[in-house]
Amino acid sequence: MSMFLVVLASCWMALASPSLAEERIRIVTTTTDLRSLAEAVGGERVEVTSLVPPNVDAEEYQAKPQDVVRLKDARVVVRVGLDFDLWFDRLLNRATLTQLNVGALRRGGTGHVDASLAIAVLDQQGASVGPGDGHAHASGNPHYWLDPKNAEIVTGNILETLVQIDPTNGPYYETNRLAFLERLEAKLRDWDTQLAPVRGKPMIAYHNTWAYLARRFRLDFVGFIEPKPGVPPSPAHLATIIKTMRDRGVRLVVRQPHEPERNAAFVAEKAGAAVVLLAGSVGALPAAREYLSLFDTNVAALSAQAR
Amino acid sequence: MTDAIALLWPPFLVALCLIGIHTYFGIQVLARNVIFVDLALAQIAALGATMAFMLGHPTQGSATYIYSLAFTLLAAFLLAFTRNWSRRISQEALIGVIYVVAAAAAILLIDRAPQGAEHLKQILTGNILITGMAEVAAIAPIYLVIGALHWVLRDRLAPSGEGSWLWEFVFYATFGFVVTSSVALAGVLLVFSFLIMPAAIGVLFADNLQRQLAIGWAVGTLASAVGLAVSYGGDLPTGAAMVCTFGATLALAGLIYVFWPGRSGASLRRVALVARWCVALILLASALLLVVAPRADHPVFDWIEYLFPPVRQAYFTKGEAATYQEAAAFAERYRREADRLNELETRSRAEDQPLDDLQVRRISSFIKSYTEMRKGEEFVQREVRSRARERIRWLAGGAMLLIAFATAPGLVIQSLKAIKRSH
Repeated sequence: MSMFLVVLASCWMALASPSLAEERIRIVTTTTDLRSLAEAVGGERVEVTSLVPPNVDAEEYQAKPQDVVRLKDARVVVRVGLDFDLWFDRLLNRATLTQLNVGALRRGGTGHVDASLAIAVLDQQGASVGPGDGHAHASGNPHYWLDPKNAEIVTGNILETLVQIDPTNGPYYETNRLAFLERLEAKLRDWDTQLAPVRGKPMIAYHNTWAYLARRFRLDFVGFIEPKPGVPPSPAHLATIIKTMRDRGVRLVVRQPHEPERNAAFVAEKAGAAVVLLAGSVGALPAAREYLSLFDTNVAALSAQAR
Repeated sequence: MTDAIALLWPPFLVALCLIGIHTYFGIQVLARNVIFVDLALAQIAALGATMAFMLGHPTQGSATYIYSLAFTLLAAFLLAFTRNWSRRISQEALIGVIYVVAAAAAILLIDRAPQGAEHLKQILTGNILITGMAEVAAIAPIYLVIGALHWVLRDRLAPSGEGSWLWEFVFYATFGFVVTSSVALAGVLLVFSFLIMPAAIGVLFADNLQRQLAIGWAVGTLASAVGLAVSYGGDLPTGAAMVCTFGATLALAGLIYVFWPGRSGASLRRVALVARWCVALILLASALLLVVAPRADHPVFDWIEYLFPPVRQAYFTKGEAATYQEAAAFAERYRREADRLNELETRSRAEDQPLDDLQVRRISSFIKSYTEMRKGEEFVQREVRSRARERIRWLAGGAMLLIAFATAPGLVIQSLKAIKRSH
């Protein structure tokens, strides 16, 4: 009995006074992209785990028992928001048993970061307005991390929560973020010049994943092979896509590694275009190890095709 | 139109190849009463391919193919050996077990691999729309050889023949071979349709194998053509449209079977009886629902209104009709406005003067507002309709009840007799 009390007390101490124990702050993110950005802000002082493995569709992710364990002792959670990772709320409800402070991690809690806060959302007109095309999201296109400029907002959201949780290290986090943004700024100019040859050139994507990337670098996506996620394209739609590609001279078909290879290859072959493999998130391609190299990889792949 | 034909011609040829071999196997499968064996074999082949993938072999390599073939042969061996293993449990039970265990095992394996789920999905959900002449050239010879083999061995492979388990093994092995390649092309659902439905229609109308095959092939070819056309014309996913066309064909064949010349009048009368009861019960349920919960969904009512819009005019008051029309017009206008803004923003992305974040946010919030306003108008439409239905619920419900009563076979006559007797 006394042993149990000691254990309980030490648990409580660990949770209540983290500044005493010089431990790194545990952060759990839903996606690898957010993990990379949280690491950029938290640096040495945080330990970040992401739940969804790279190349798994985060929207259709099914939480595993181990995820509850991963949430244990987490003090901050970071999510994509915009209805992208709705399963995360259910997981947080599940975690009550192993987690004393889970209330702070739930929506509205002090440790809960919705990274989409203050993002200028594109494709607002999702499934809510008619069953037409567009990504099936009532709250807009959720792939906002694919605009590198949005990292400024996302890291800002993460910083705000980290400073609240761990005020003593506030200046450290702030310096980290500014250093990261500086590197990002330099990279942005780089990417812009590299992508000049593909700017305004029409291309096709498998899904409407690239709206934010397109807006930042002025890429022209004129159609999608599978406009409604999960519904195989109809022949009439494919015929329209192939016709558009021929009429407008589309040379590029963009596909993510987890999207069906055969459909993209079929369309590309019919219209004499090339398929480019782009990473939709960190880790989706081996070279896209962290947030900046994600764009390095994608920009290199796109500009290689332009030549 | 030429675009459509150029796009649909190769899938149609692939469908012909698949129907050619699957109708034959379907007749055999129906005779053996192992309806879901193709699902089990396809799933076990997928398990083999998954294992190869996990061991690091490329997706479309020969190693992967050998793995899935080996797994399929193993399952064929199991199936052949257990044909008569017990009189107590039908072989369908074992087939079901093979299917679920293979599916679950593949999920467990793939859980460890990046892109795993997508890989597994691609093995089992081929899309016939994106098949081409290369696929026809690849499968046609294989199917011809297997067909010829079965023709030569037809006495030994006949389901009723007292064949040893070796011949059963040959049957399941060749079948597994065919299913493995066809599922990768057309997907599980469509292959099952190719297998069972033309064969079922053939068996329904003919007694010997040649005639059954001829009927199955003809019906399958026709249904495939119609399915592809429907899929193109209706802008629908091809595999699903074809499966539903096959289902409709089978239903039609069932009806023709009932009305086939030489059928006894009794069975005709039974069909009519069942149909009348169905209509009467549906009407009865709708009438009761309308009276009890006039604001609930009324599918029958909605369909009648959709098919004959004047019905709505009949029970709306003038004011209601005007409000309804106005709300519909506004809802459409808001939809168009939101569409226009969305298009403006999308187009601006690739232009030289892209919109800044502030403008994007403004457009976003406008679209949101338009969406909300449109939902509001739709709410008005629903509310007007609900109130009108509340008002007429006794009258309309009573009328529907009367029709239901009149439709129900014998009810009117029996009631009249009962009234007479009581007097």
